[in-house]
Amino acid sequence: MNNSVSDLFAVLGNKKPDIDDLRELEAPGPMEKVLLACSELSVGEFYLARVPRVPTMLFPHLESRGLCWWVHEEADQSALLLVGREA
Amino acid sequence: MQTGGLSLDQAPRLSIPAIFFLTIPIAVLAAGCILIATGAAALSTPWAPQTLALAHAGTLGVLAMAMIGALYQMTPVIAGTPLPFTRVAHLVHVFLLAGLAGFLWRLLGGPVFAMSVAIISLTIAFVAFLLPLGWALARPATQNETVQGMRLAVVSLAVVTLIGLLMARGYAGDNFSAARVLWVQIHLTLALLGWVGGLIMSVSWQVIPMFYLAPPASKNTIRWLFGLLLCGLVLPFAAIFADGQSSGLLPPKQLAALGAVPAALVVWLIHPALILRNISLRKRKRSDASLLFWRTGLISALLMIPITLAALWLPEPRWQILFGWVAIWGWAAMIMHGMLSRIVPFLVWFHRYSPRVGLEPVPSMRSLLSQRQIQTGFALHLSSLVLGVAAILLKVEILAQLTGLMLVATAISLGSMLVHVIAGKSD
Repeated sequence: MNNSVSDLFAVLGNKKPDIDDLRELEAPGPMEKVLLACSELSVGEFYLARVPRVPTMLFPHLESRGLCWWVHEEADQSALLLVGREA
Repeated sequence: MQTGGLSLDQAPRLSIPAIFFLTIPIAVLAAGCILIATGAAALSTPWAPQTLALAHAGTLGVLAMAMIGALYQMTPVIAGTPLPFTRVAHLVHVFLLAGLAGFLWRLLGGPVFAMSVAIISLTIAFVAFLLPLGWALARPATQNETVQGMRLAVVSLAVVTLIGLLMARGYAGDNFSAARVLWVQIHLTLALLGWVGGLIMSVSWQVIPMFYLAPPASKNTIRWLFGLLLCGLVLPFAAIFADGQSSGLLPPKQLAALGAVPAALVVWLIHPALILRNISLRKRKRSDASLLFWRTGLISALLMIPITLAALWLPEPRWQILFGWVAIWGWAAMIMHGMLSRIVPFLVWFHRYSPRVGLEPVPSMRSLLSQRQIQTGFALHLSSLVLGVAAILLKVEILAQLTGLMLVATAISLGSMLVHVIAGKSD
């Protein structure tokens, strides 16, 4: 990935959350980890993860929990997923 | 970048794939009973009604049930477009089952009207399945190689169904006026290489990296394989035009087989070799019993090229029977069985438990189905496969009946596995 995280996700502004690398987990591990981590997000907080692929099946769950998400697909089909809880 | 995702109500309910998957053990049981009752007669010539019954218990009862159930679940997720009228799936299931029952009944000595009922039921089932699916695949929100492969498989299924239903009229009091041997060849090519092979390939591009952390195949490779597969599915139709022309170098049946060579090489040589290699290069070599099915199914695929050559060129009918047995039960059904043991726990976990992750403790996906139960299913499936091969090659009555018994045992094991997982009992 050539761009920095804040270039890819303007919503982050100056924030630089750690990237949780979930690429070594087989399904449904990444979904489980993201949902667990996001259950603890407060308003204005973000969770950033590198996942094995664009997690299509995760998005409905995030939306049903009132979470916002942004995704950037990489050339190797992995994806950078940003989840936030907005006010 | 935010992209549009699926809403929860776009994903089909678990009950839709589940009804199709739960019918598979019944079809395996029916196949086992056919073999027990008919013995070696069902394994003596490819044209015997008992053999056709056995083969279609496998293709319509096992493969089509698994693939239709999987397509209802996968299409909205992979293509990003919901299937319209998903509740029609229950109707599709009922008519598919009724069609299969009528088909088997007629071939096993039932009245002519049983085949008429089968033809009407199967026509309704496939039209009701293919129209909404075709609509969703024609307008995918996401364009990828899996969607392309699914389209090819679905078009192949439509043509296979049409040819099959026309030929089935021969058992319903009508005649099939065209050259039957040539059309059977085209029916087989499209069914095994286009419908089954196309879908196994396109699904493998997704599930092998997703469930086993194997490296994905490059998009370039996938494009090449797709192009070759397409050529091998279109070229056999050239034999129709050669039919009736005495000047041809080869009989139309063999010309059709020759046209299918690119597709056969892709499905039964390059794809299995590539996936076996990718599985061996997995990042984390975690023990997983469902991989036993994948490996055995892919090795069976590699055996298909020599078996196909024997079936085409050797005079003994046993090679043609062996071709059908290894293709349906050794390659396709073996991979389906393995995928069911991985995908059904995943779907149950996704539908039943994932909405509660982070809100309350939930069982892990692996706890929904023990590895031992998967291994038992594999041992039974493999035993029935090997016994069947021996029965076909040696033409021994008792071996054919033992194969039938082993199919019954496999059906019981598969059925109990599916019920255990879908009923939601975690270990």
